[in-house]
Amino acid sequence: MLTFLLLLIMISMKFDLNHLSQLANLKLTGDEEKELPGQLEKIIDWVGQLSRLETDQEEKFTPVNFSLRLEADQPEESLPPAEVLAMAPDKEGDFIKVSRVLAGK
Amino acid sequence: MSQELVKLGLVEAVNLVRTGQVGLAEIVEDYIGQIERQDKKIKAYLTYNFGPALNKAREIDSRSEKGKLAGAVMAIKDNIVTRGLRTTCGSKILENFIPPYNATVIERLEAEDAIVIGKTNLDEFAMGSSTENSAFFPTRNPWDLERVPGGSSGGSAAAVAAREASGALGSETGGSVRQPAALCGLVGLKPTYGLVSRYGLVAFASSLDQIGPLARNVADCAWLTSVISGFDRRDSTSADLPVPDYFSNLELPLTKNRIGVLAETLLTGVNPEVAANYKKIISNLEKLGFKLSTVSFPSWEYALPCYYIIAPSEASSNLARFDGVRYGFRANSGELSEMYVKTRTLGFGSEVKRRILIGTFALSSGYYEAYYARAARARQTITHEFQTAFKQVDFILTPTTPEPAFRLGEKQDPLSMYLQDYFTVTANLTGLPALSLPSGLTAAGLPLGVQLIGPDFSESELFKFAFLLEKSFNFKNNIDAITTVREEEE
Repeated sequence: MLTFLLLLIMISMKFDLNHLSQLANLKLTGDEEKELPGQLEKIIDWVGQLSRLETDQEEKFTPVNFSLRLEADQPEESLPPAEVLAMAPDKEGDFIKVSRVLAGK
Repeated sequence: MSQELVKLGLVEAVNLVRTGQVGLAEIVEDYIGQIERQDKKIKAYLTYNFGPALNKAREIDSRSEKGKLAGAVMAIKDNIVTRGLRTTCGSKILENFIPPYNATVIERLEAEDAIVIGKTNLDEFAMGSSTENSAFFPTRNPWDLERVPGGSSGGSAAAVAAREASGALGSETGGSVRQPAALCGLVGLKPTYGLVSRYGLVAFASSLDQIGPLARNVADCAWLTSVISGFDRRDSTSADLPVPDYFSNLELPLTKNRIGVLAETLLTGVNPEVAANYKKIISNLEKLGFKLSTVSFPSWEYALPCYYIIAPSEASSNLARFDGVRYGFRANSGELSEMYVKTRTLGFGSEVKRRILIGTFALSSGYYEAYYARAARARQTITHEFQTAFKQVDFILTPTTPEPAFRLGEKQDPLSMYLQDYFTVTANLTGLPALSLPSGLTAAGLPLGVQLIGPDFSESELFKFAFLLEKSFNFKNNIDAITTVREEEE
């Protein structure tokens, strides 16, 4: 039943590019605006075939099949600030400078 | 400048340098000459490191004690950070980025006196199977300059195949070391997940990424793997396990001889020469005394859609850090959130945007359960099928790629490119080690590769098996004949 409902959701969905662009903080430009929406729908359709696979396995997010070593949380030397700041597009003293942050939009 | 030194294998060169028979500076000069002669046609490299490489070589030559890689001239994929040496990930968003630290693998290479001769081209952020998605230029296959070297580690593969380096590091998320290795006639390894530290590998999909070597032969690959492998406390997914001496183990007798092969149904749609080569190898293995059986993988067909949900999802998270704030390209704007959007819109290429958007969709509210969570469960199903298979066989043998090197510009439809990963993504999803070995040439003279998959942390046995097969295949690497012909045409 759950599978059937999920299938229904998938069939009726539309790839809401505006919403996703907002979430991803990027836009399409030029030729991308023409070509990508169709390509993305096709890809989502194609990966959607995964719904045909019966899976009652647990969700496992990594292939780690060994035990991970734990360590105490001790502070250590960080990267040299001057070298790190050298890559900042804009800075003031020891601070990275960015565009103005507006409250609310 | 003899041009002969670039023909030396990596281990060969290391032995000559460590015993003082050949100077490292001489070898490096030969490689520089080779690159200067050829790379304008092949375009394997994004950044050359000639000055520091020569200085380091001279310093090493002046010492009596030399490291295990003194003599190795390495090409490094440009998504592995190198301190003080530009690292672009093949993207405009990092076009002028100079990392303030070295990846762990670089520290390990340099501690053993390897030379880093340059940073190689790749599909942008490792997303692709042809190196055509590089924001800068495509790399060409040294075997046929009209064809792709594969991807995303295409620059690394082309560099080693064209004798512009004696070995290389690439990275894998869905096959990006093995596939270019196969298309360029090289040995390429994806290690077991956790064997090689990911610290300093710019993350694409953290549960799939692994750094792997590309080399001219199995012995060179084994030698490199031992040096770069091993626990690293800076990578929280690093395996705390001892690393065998893969090279010394090569000549030890192989104790395992049960090989699993794929059912005929999984080979439909594969290039006929690839299928024929695979079948020929199977019958040769039977003659060599191996026990072959067909292994069942009911979910193999779902591995690609599973991968193309999980990888873009993780990428959408990992690439959120490229926002123009702390490093890289920034598109100036009056307001911060506009700065983020403009920076990423102008800085990322189309394939990167496609994958970020797919991943964002698969993780978004209302779709997470049907896409990402389902893919995570599918991943487990596939993993269990491999675990079951390894109860009856010791290795699994498949073709590495569905077709040999294709032409530049041939695959315009993104899906047709994704299908290149058909045989390779399962090893990334399951974490299992997998090696590609050159297995023949097509009628047109293009390399073919065969893939060996083993259980977790079975690299020793994989290398032994590959070493044996390499001898029996006797793959004729006639790349020198090809490059000589090209020079005569000038």
